[in-house]
Amino acid sequence: MRKARAIALISGGLDSTLALALMQRLGAEIKAVNFYTGFCVTETQRRKGGRPDGTVPQNEALRAAADLEVDIEYVDVSGRAYLDMLVHPRYGYGKNANPCVDCRIFMMRKAREIMEREGADLVFTGEVLGQRPKSQRRDTLWVIERESGLQGRLLRPLSARLLPPTRAEQEGLVDRERLLDISGRSRLRQMALAREWGVTGWPQPAGGCCYLTDESFGRKFFDLLGGREALGRERRLEQEDVVLLSTGRHFRLSARAKLIVGRTEVENALLERHVEGRARLAARDVNGPVALVEGEPTWEERVLAARIVARYGQGRAAPAVAVEWREGELVECYEVPPEADEARIEAMRI
Amino acid sequence: MQAAPSALPAPDRVLDTSGTLCPWPIVETARAVKAMADGAVLLVVATDAGIATDMPMWCKATRHEHLATWRDGPAWKSLVRKRARRP
Repeated sequence: MRKARAIALISGGLDSTLALALMQRLGAEIKAVNFYTGFCVTETQRRKGGRPDGTVPQNEALRAAADLEVDIEYVDVSGRAYLDMLVHPRYGYGKNANPCVDCRIFMMRKAREIMEREGADLVFTGEVLGQRPKSQRRDTLWVIERESGLQGRLLRPLSARLLPPTRAEQEGLVDRERLLDISGRSRLRQMALAREWGVTGWPQPAGGCCYLTDESFGRKFFDLLGGREALGRERRLEQEDVVLLSTGRHFRLSARAKLIVGRTEVENALLERHVEGRARLAARDVNGPVALVEGEPTWEERVLAARIVARYGQGRAAPAVAVEWREGELVECYEVPPEADEARIEAMRI
Repeated sequence: MQAAPSALPAPDRVLDTSGTLCPWPIVETARAVKAMADGAVLLVVATDAGIATDMPMWCKATRHEHLATWRDGPAWKSLVRKRARRP
């Protein structure tokens, strides 16, 4: 019997690494794929110079592939079609801005293309039945398989014996008896297997690398779309929005105006790259953050934005700070007292 | 990662990924290596410090030979030798 040829979708987390290790032990020829969505927390932290504690997270998918010596390919899915799916998910959102079922379908369709291109027999993932409340229920696992066009070709090695056999199992390319029957949210069995198989280095805590599942990010995500609608614009997400949503402090000045204030030098530099189409604010004579205003602020909201920018700079204790407002060719300077009303600031924070 | 190497092969091709961030230096490296002949050496220039950990891992995963990665002023440089795929 020839070896099964498989496409592995890996994040580098415990489950996908174990699935990879299991299929390797079953003798499959594997090509690993990692999808770039633009919403990975780890990647964003790396881009900003590391975690708040100074450590720099490693690329977990790459680490897992390296540890198991499996060829890996990165696939960019962060374009227009992915962004539109996020805004109009057919199967709705999870707890926050995470349309996990639609996202999985999107990725599995890409995986099917890769499977066909590579002449592989199947796609496999680290999904575990019942582990996630929405995307890993029995019914949604089936929806994902059907909607991606991978019927009978999508194997979940960690839960396979609890699911109908795939074509590769029926044809004897994969030994169903050696697949697993893990279900539920506990990871005790996975951790025991990792010890047994010498799988180490997986990130702690497991999972949770996607900004879309983050409550704070979710608030900003829906606020952005609501703000676009308030301005009479299309409910639509752009690639630079993805960068800005994970950068800085966000304040809703009004339905028609929003302020983003950099928190670090790296964030200030990042905001500088997205000035076009927005107003740029910064204290003129003292060090402080770079800030951007989006939308159509009133005069009062411009002054309010300047006061908030002054509050986060070195002039926060001064009676007044000169804050420069640059918008295209327009340059104005507002002499404002730093905003001292913390409750007011918090009420505007998104 | 190591200090600037003194006795390494001259590259057959140079790939400048400056300005791109994780995972693009590796994505571009993979594309470049794919188009090269077995045994050819690629010099990758990057400004993303992540290449110092990513390149050795990528080479281990894909079985290409990681010759060196070192810092050169504001940039990082990596030398990779293409190895034929296992049958």
